This record gives sequence, C-alpha cells and structure tokens, in this order.
Amino acid sequence: MTAETIIQSLASGLLMGLLYGLIAAGLALIFGLMDVVNFAHGEFLMIAMYATFFLFAFFAIDPLLSAPLVAAALFVFGAVVYLLIVRFAVRAKANAGMVQIFATFGLAIVMRGLAQYFFTPDYRSITHSWLGGKTLSLAGVFLPVPQLFGAMTAIAAFVVLYFFINRTDFGRALEATREDAGAVALVGIDKNRVFALGWGLGAALVGLAGAIMAIFFYVYPDVGASFALIAYVTVALGGFGSVFGAFAAGIIVGLVEATTALILPPSLKSVGIYAVYLLVVFIRPRGLFGSL
Amino acid sequence: MTALLETKGIWMRFGGLVANSDVSISVGRGEIVGLIGPNGAGKSTLFNLIAGVYTPTQGSIIFDGEDVTRLTAAERCVRGVGRTFQVVKSFETMTVIDNVIVGALIRTTVMREARRKAYEVLEFCGLAARANVLASQLIPSEKRRLEVARALATEPKLLLLDEVLTGLTPIEAQTGVELVRKARATGVTVLMVEHVMEIVMPLVDRAIVLDLGKVLVEGKPADVVRNPKVISAYLGDRHAVGA
Amino acid sequence: MDQDFSQRRRRDLLVAAVLAGIAALVPLFVKDVYVQNIMVLTLMYAALSQSWNILSGYCGQISLGHALYFGLGAYTTALLFMKFGVLPWFGMLGGGLISAVIAMALGYPCFRLRGHYFVIATIVIAETALLLFQNWDWAGAALGIDIPVHGDSWLKFQFARSKLPYFYFALALACIAWLVTWWLEDSKWGYWWRAVKDNPDAAESLGVVVFNSKMGAAAVSAFLTAIGGSFYAQFVSYIDPESVMGFQFSLLMALPAVLGGVGTLWGPVLGAVILIPLTELTRSFIGGSGRGVDLIVYGTLIVAISLARPEGLVGLFSPRRKEIAR
Repeated sequence: MTAETIIQSLASGLLMGLLYGLIAAGLALIFGLMDVVNFAHGEFLMIAMYATFFLFAFFAIDPLLSAPLVAAALFVFGAVVYLLIVRFAVRAKANAGMVQIFATFGLAIVMRGLAQYFFTPDYRSITHSWLGGKTLSLAGVFLPVPQLFGAMTAIAAFVVLYFFINRTDFGRALEATREDAGAVALVGIDKNRVFALGWGLGAALVGLAGAIMAIFFYVYPDVGASFALIAYVTVALGGFGSVFGAFAAGIIVGLVEATTALILPPSLKSVGIYAVYLLVVFIRPRGLFGSL
Repeated sequence: MTALLETKGIWMRFGGLVANSDVSISVGRGEIVGLIGPNGAGKSTLFNLIAGVYTPTQGSIIFDGEDVTRLTAAERCVRGVGRTFQVVKSFETMTVIDNVIVGALIRTTVMREARRKAYEVLEFCGLAARANVLASQLIPSEKRRLEVARALATEPKLLLLDEVLTGLTPIEAQTGVELVRKARATGVTVLMVEHVMEIVMPLVDRAIVLDLGKVLVEGKPADVVRNPKVISAYLGDRHAVGA
Repeated sequence: MDQDFSQRRRRDLLVAAVLAGIAALVPLFVKDVYVQNIMVLTLMYAALSQSWNILSGYCGQISLGHALYFGLGAYTTALLFMKFGVLPWFGMLGGGLISAVIAMALGYPCFRLRGHYFVIATIVIAETALLLFQNWDWAGAALGIDIPVHGDSWLKFQFARSKLPYFYFALALACIAWLVTWWLEDSKWGYWWRAVKDNPDAAESLGVVVFNSKMGAAAVSAFLTAIGGSFYAQFVSYIDPESVMGFQFSLLMALPAVLGGVGTLWGPVLGAVILIPLTELTRSFIGGSGRGVDLIVYGTLIVAISLARPEGLVGLFSPRRKEIAR
C-alpha cells in the first residue's frame, strides 16, 4: 500500500463523506424538529434518483439542470408525506415511538413496491452526462468529477442551510418550534405548517443528493436501503437532530469507510462505519455533537 | 436510640456549582421532618442524594446504622427508603394496582401476596376504587397519592416525599396531610420537601431550613417560622411565608 | 377483584388451549402443501414475534436487530450438524444458549443507550454480524450451508416427504413462546419489565434493578428467537447469511407484534395470523410477476394499522381492555 493509494482513497472518502452528510442532513433536520426518524429516508433518495434518471432518459435533461427541479419536487413530496401520514403518526397516544417507526417504514415498503411495479427491478444508469465518468487530477490525486461536484454542492447546501436557519424568519420559526411546539402555537405560528415545511426542506436536501448520485450510481428500487442505514448512523453519530453534527459526522463516515476499505476486504467496508458508531455511542451515548 | 437517617458533611458539586455544602442533618425514628427553603436552596439535590439518585462529592449518608453513600436507589429501596417524585412518574400504561404491585414485589415474589398487599395499600391511600384504571387516566391529585401508595408498598422505614402537597387544592392537600399522618402512625418515618411553608408547618415535628446549599436553621416549626434568618431568606418570596 | 384477575388469566389459558387444539386438527383436513407451508410460517412468526415482544414490547427496548439471534440459531444448528455431526436438537439448545449469552454481552454496553440510539445500535450490530458471516469461509461465506436431507427422521429433525412434523413442531414452539409470556406476564419479571418500559427512574426507586431487568428480557428473548432460527434452518434445509440474518427478518419479527398489539399477550399471535398469510398470498398471487404489488399491499397495511390503531388490533377483540383504555 503506497502513500498515493492512501491519499487517493482518503480523498474519495472525503468526497463521499460530504455527500453522506448531505443525505443525512434532511434526516437530522426532521428529527431535530419533531423527534421523528423518517425510516423512508432512503426511499426519498431512491425516488429522487429515479426522477433524475427519467428526466434524463425522456427529456435529455442533464442531472445538473434537473437537480433543482428534483429538489423542488421532493420538497412538495416531503410536505405531502407529513400532511398525509406523519401528522397522524405523531398524534398516536399509545406506543408513540413505535408508531412513527412503523408508519414511515410501511411507507418505505410501499414506495419500494411502487418503484418495482412502475420501473421494474432493473438497474438503470445515466449513460452520458456532462460530468459522468470525468476525473480531475489534483496534485497527482484523481478525483471523480461527479463526486467532487456532489461534495461542493453539499458544502454549498450547508452554508445556505446555516444562513437559512439562523437568519430567516422561517428558520427562526423552525428553531422555535423545535424548542417548544406548544409555545409557538400561542404566538400564532401554525405548528403543522412549520412541520410540513420542515419535512419539505428535509426531503429537498435528500432530493438534491439523489440527483447528484444518479450521475454515478445505479438506480434501482432498493438503492435507498443501503444509503439509509449509513444516513441513520451518520445522524446518530452526529447527535440526533444536530444538522451540522450530521455534516461533520458524514465526513467522518466517508473517511472511515475509505480507510476500512484499505484494510479489510471491500465487502466489509461498512463494518468500519458500524464499529465507529458503536464505539462513539458507547463512550458518548448522545453521539458526538448531541446535547439533549 | 440512634437516628434513622443521618447525613454527615455532605457536599455536592455539579461542575462549578455547589448545590450542597457541608450539610449534616439527622432524622429520628418515627419523626415527620420538613425540609424547606427558598427556590434553589439545594433541597432537591439533598433529597436525591438521600434517595440514591446522586452520589455526594464528599460526605456520607448513614441509614439505619449502615453507610449507604455508595448504594444505588434500588439498593436503598431494599433497605427501606421509599420516595415520590416531584414531577409524578407513574407507569402510565399500567393499571393503578399494577403500579403498586411493582413496589410490593420488592418484599415478596409471590404474586398473590404482592397483589393482596397492593390492594391493602390502595385502600390505605383511598385509591382502591380506582385500582383497575390505567394510571394515565388519574387526575393529578390521584397520581400524587399513587406515588405515595407505590412507595408505601415497598414497606419503607423512611418515606421521602418530594413536594407531594404543592399544587393541590386545599381539600386535596388536607387529604394528603391526613395520609402522611396515617403513614406515620404505622411506624413510617417521613422526610418531606416542601417549598411552601404554610402547608407543612402544621404537619411536621421538626423543620430543617436550607438556604444556599447550607442548613440555615432547624427546630420546631413554630420557632422556625419566627426566625429572622428564615424570614429574610424567604424575602421576595412572600407567598411562601404565611403560616 | 383478585378473582377477576385470576379468572382472566385462566380464561386466556383456556382460549390458548382451545386455539392450539383447533390448530392441531387443521392439517387433518387441509392437505395442500402450499397451505401447510403458510401455516408453518405463520406459527413460526407468531413464536418469533412473541419472543421479540418480551424485550421490545414488555421491556420497551425496541430491537430491530433480532435477525442476529435468528441467524445465530440457524447457523449454530447447521454448523454443529455439518461439521461435528451434532444432532439438531442439541444444536437448537446450543444456539439458544449462545444467543442468550451474546444478547447479554451486547446488552452490557447497549442498554445504556436510549431511544433511537439504541434502535440504530441493534440494526448496526445485526448488519455487522451479517457482513462477517458473509465473509466467514468456514461457515460457507455468502453461499451458505446446504443441509443434506436423507429422508424422514425425528432424530435428525428432517423430513423430506411431509411437512406435518414441521407443522407440529412450529405449533409447539408457538405454544411455548406464548406460555412463557403468559407465565412471565404475571411474575416479578413481567412487572419489572413494564415498569422499566414506562419509567426507568421510578422503577429504580421501587427497588427494580433496571439494568438486570433489561438483561433478563434480552436473554429470554434471544433464546426463544434462536430456537426459531434453528427450526427454520431445519425447515428450509438451506441457509445463507442474507436469508437468515437479513434486516427483513428483524422487521418480520417485530411487525406481527406491532400490528397485533405491542406488549400484549395476544398481539403477536393475532398479528402473525393476519400478516403472514397475507404476505404469502399476495406474494404468490400478485407478486409472482416480481412487480412489487405484494410490497404495496403489505406496506399500505402497515401504515394503515399503525395510524388507525396505534395500540394494535387486540383491542378489537378484548372489550375488557378497551373499557380500561377509556
């Protein structure tokens, strides 16, 4: 193993990690807002990837152009999921914790079934896009351009998100609602509206990630499952509900994955991520950046 | 006869914050002792130290002749310390009787026996009619009584009551006072934390006033309420004085 | 009042005995192998879900990693038999014990975790075990183990011609899991678990050793789950990591209890009786084309029941409990 291989894998691990951060951000946002883990998060990613794929296949729209469209579509989808399902799940008086897990899980299964029904279980990929297959050489390190673009997008998204949460009225409403949903109702903020927008925003973030991932990853009905687990681990590692914790944890997860792949057989690369998660929560049961 | 409970030079620090400094108190067998003081006086901390939620930074706690400083709450319960919670913590998905059975099971593992005992305690606490209702369906004052019932089912020598009378209507509070007297009559020693003096003063044999983490005054209720130090500690907190 | 309670316990026992008796007679009339197969699976999932319910329903520690114990049971039995010629009956017991020990070893650090941190830890641990088994050559790696079947033998617990012995074993397993739950429900452990689930701090103050309670629940739950896994290995006579340790098993164990009623005696049975035949039927009648309709039906059902009856379907059958719930 040479120094170059190590640097090379760490570099791609870093890029992938930033993308993981972006995938996890929406999950963390929703959790922070209302203590709900969306177990259909991977399927949100999946439909975003399909949307990107079909926009390309039927209308020859490059993923770079369709990404904002896909994010917008996912925004609507996320808000609708909240209004139709989650809103009722959190109202449950009995077994509240389990109800939200299994309601979103049921949704995930339905979405997978629908994808199989309409899109068949075939693996699809975007054959030629502006960025697809290109690499960039940076001081001897080869970086795949799609992943690089994804990483940049992730950073940009976090910067925007930071200002959004801290500097806008809606961001403040979001923050206030997560602190005390009962009190905000008194000052005339509609809790359901804020939650629906929060779900929309969370879904839009994962939509953005999905659009970029469609450039370099196969699209198939179960694609979400593998990334979903990584997203849960990332969010938990960052400390549930901390959006920026998820960002940092995403980078760690990407680097750990790349490092593990150097040491162990590639089929075991996720073991490193899982081990780091367990190690962290055994020492700090609230994750790296969680307060609570 | 030695005291049932003694704390010797208890210090408790949370980071830089000193919640209790050099607190030494004792509770004799069969006494009802009130632990009072203004907000932030360190009552709750001391209470939780005695109950076994925290371990003191320094000092020791002697219960029934045994050093229990390092024992867990569950181990202290076995030795005869029962408690209630300021914010009620009922087992919401269980029925009232089942709540009490959990307590009774510390003394017997024969279910029939535990169930019989639980009924007895519920009758004692005036909750027998509500035995098969879910705890979540109780009104607040009943939940308070359920907490007491649960603790009594563990057959405590020392019953720790954390603001059980606060926030009740005068009639409910009176029922609570009678319950505490009845419990004492069966031989249980009571240490109760209350913020509002006027409720507890007629009930307790002795009052210990904490202020700023230290024991300020202790003695007979009538003397304590007239003590200038106590009055000044409670100043700005006029609702609490009364008596 | 005490009479009411004992009467209800006795009535539960009687109902269970009658149901088990009826179930035992069904194969005399239903000879169709396909239907018998579904019945075996239904009973197996009833038993598994009942086991899961002990840790997650009664004690409140939501595990989505029970596939680990299921897989350990299956692998222990298969490996002991294939490598050392140990009869499956001993393998079954061994798998149960190994799983119970591992559950406690894992519980030691995990039970400090709360809420979603715990749930995700259980998923992650089961996934790690899955990956390790996929890479463990001695245990057949990803290809798994093919258990050779040499005709019918109770000794080797394998039957080539008829599914009936498997059916009766699965029925016995479901009955045992139910009885264990029935017995534990009115024991110190049952009360301690529910107390721990509802409020660990209050439980601790009443002398409940919270940590030990969770450990006890984990051990019993893992043991019974592993027995189910052993049975499954014998039943299908071929196992690979994905087919006995995959995440879907963790889910399939939890779902019947969730739909039927978490932390209730009858929930897992009711949930399994509804869910498993439905899953199997949709899979073979509309899912055969591989087009996912089975998933759509199944997922919709999960969403609908969780939203409409969060306390589970048992409430519909038990007027008494409904009364209490009000």
